[in-house]
Amino acid sequence: MYIIGENIHIISDKVKEALTNRDREFFMDLAVRQVEAGAKCVDINLGPRKKDFAEVFPWIVESIEAVVDVPLSIDTTNVDGMEAALKSIKKAQPILNSTSAEPERLEKIPLLAKKYGAKVIALTMGSAGIPVAAEERVNIAVGTLIPRMLEIDFPMEDLIIDPLVLTVSGCQEYCPQLLEAVRILPYSWDPAPKISIGLSNVSNAVPPENRPLINRVYLAMLMGVGLQMMIANPFDKEQNDVIRWIESKDQSTPLARVYNKIAERIEASDEPQYEDFDLSDPEQAAIWKTVQILLNKVIYAEGYLNQ
Amino acid sequence: MPIEIPKDKWPGKIRTVTLGATAAEGGTRSKTVAIGGEASLPFMHFENPTPNPPLVAIEIKDRKPEDWSPLLAEVWSEAMNDPGAWAKAAEATGADLILLALSVTGADGKPNTPDAAVAATKAVLGATGLPLLVYGPGQVELDNELLVPVAEATRGERLVLGICEDKNYRTIVATAMANGHLVTARAPMDVNLSKQLNILISDMGMPADRILMDPTTGALGYGIEYGYSVMERLRLAALQGDAMTQGPMIVTPGFEAWKTKESKVGEGVPESWGDWKERAINWETVTAVALIETGATIVVLRHPESVKRVHRAIEELMAV
Repeated sequence: MYIIGENIHIISDKVKEALTNRDREFFMDLAVRQVEAGAKCVDINLGPRKKDFAEVFPWIVESIEAVVDVPLSIDTTNVDGMEAALKSIKKAQPILNSTSAEPERLEKIPLLAKKYGAKVIALTMGSAGIPVAAEERVNIAVGTLIPRMLEIDFPMEDLIIDPLVLTVSGCQEYCPQLLEAVRILPYSWDPAPKISIGLSNVSNAVPPENRPLINRVYLAMLMGVGLQMMIANPFDKEQNDVIRWIESKDQSTPLARVYNKIAERIEASDEPQYEDFDLSDPEQAAIWKTVQILLNKVIYAEGYLNQ
Repeated sequence: MPIEIPKDKWPGKIRTVTLGATAAEGGTRSKTVAIGGEASLPFMHFENPTPNPPLVAIEIKDRKPEDWSPLLAEVWSEAMNDPGAWAKAAEATGADLILLALSVTGADGKPNTPDAAVAATKAVLGATGLPLLVYGPGQVELDNELLVPVAEATRGERLVLGICEDKNYRTIVATAMANGHLVTARAPMDVNLSKQLNILISDMGMPADRILMDPTTGALGYGIEYGYSVMERLRLAALQGDAMTQGPMIVTPGFEAWKTKESKVGEGVPESWGDWKERAINWETVTAVALIETGATIVVLRHPESVKRVHRAIEELMAV
């Protein structure tokens, strides 16, 4: 699993404070620790920084490249900010995060990526929003995103499509559809486009104590449909266990077997079954309930585990 | 060639809930009514019989409301000045249930009091034998202040107390549990929040067969499609076996329809809108019937003519 480390994100109060203080050490440490925890790329989301992007973006790129060698993912809606960051990159091929199928962004951002030799993440979202059905998201990729790349002669191996994970709390019907989008997308073009998703989006607006479980159960399902790249928290040890178990088909513990079984069932276009779980084990019972909400079989509620 | 009609087999069903208690059961109602129990989508009689028809409740207030349509003031007339008389008049329209909504203030403009709320409730119970729902004015502290004494003074009647919302349910649920009443749990047009509130109320120890769900709705032309979809989804989840969505649903199309411009305003509207009174009654009736078709078990109405029309629609829908 290629993890793009998500922790340098302006939504975090610590990141906000460190940025205000231009605390270079904080960002260096956070980048190094993410890479040590297994991140293959470091995402940088400091917001649009409309006023001071010309100073902030080069500063953060230089700070982080001083201590890690991995690619950086430039995560902002500010196109000028993207360019300011790109100009400062000295090390690995960066990723632009992101464009969508909305005309204005699709016009500018792929050209920018091409100019600086960057990869680009393209969201299957048009001006009309995010479609529910898997096929419609694939249609945006095939009908809008990929044609634009071909039009500007963008190297297909540098295109990463993100079919957009939405939260189980309020957009539950999207959850199983996203799995199918991830399954189908590689077959939508030759050469197959790379796929990436933002894992923790699946548990937005979920109480913090339930988020990691929902994230890692969904991850097992996503690995079942072939996911190989995601933006995620590399410090989540239990998530990393799930990745290791599934990648190495580790069957040595009951939990490892359960997560492997979930991935296998989903891979076979099957659904995890009641009998795959030892429901006398509270941990497995919680995983089973989580599978049910993620497949939109049972309506999500904050207290779904207590039901 | 014989055609075989496909039938759905559902693992779950809507919970049966009994409202009201007769003297033998510790109350004073002349009869009790059962709602719910359906094991299919609404009115799919060929799959499973519909054990109980949807019911119509009439909403009355403890004193004459100042903000209701003049059309309603005209039809209820003097009865609006006395909750007992209003309840009697409501029963005479053929309504199945009475919903007494307590006001924020008394006639003197001061906040409503527990004594007045209890007196109004008792007056209604004395005037009619129908099972009763009592709702607070919808302000957290005042709701609790009024509903607790009402619940205590009517112990054993199996009233429905409301409204429980996520920001205020504990006190109402506790007093309903202690005094043998039921509750309405209302969530704002959201399946997740509806279910969550049911979980929270059940966690307090309230038996599931004493909880009605109010998924909230909008009037015709004012968001009814959202309410409709939420109710449809809850009904499907219930039939699929989700215990926390199996409560019978109560909705308030009267409240919703009578606040629309089409019902409220008689002058300065296009002539093509037609007769004001007929339009207002149609608005309430059509809103209510649409909601019944998506699974409402109790519709709360305001106009006597709407009660008749909705009853007629229910009769047709119930015909096998």
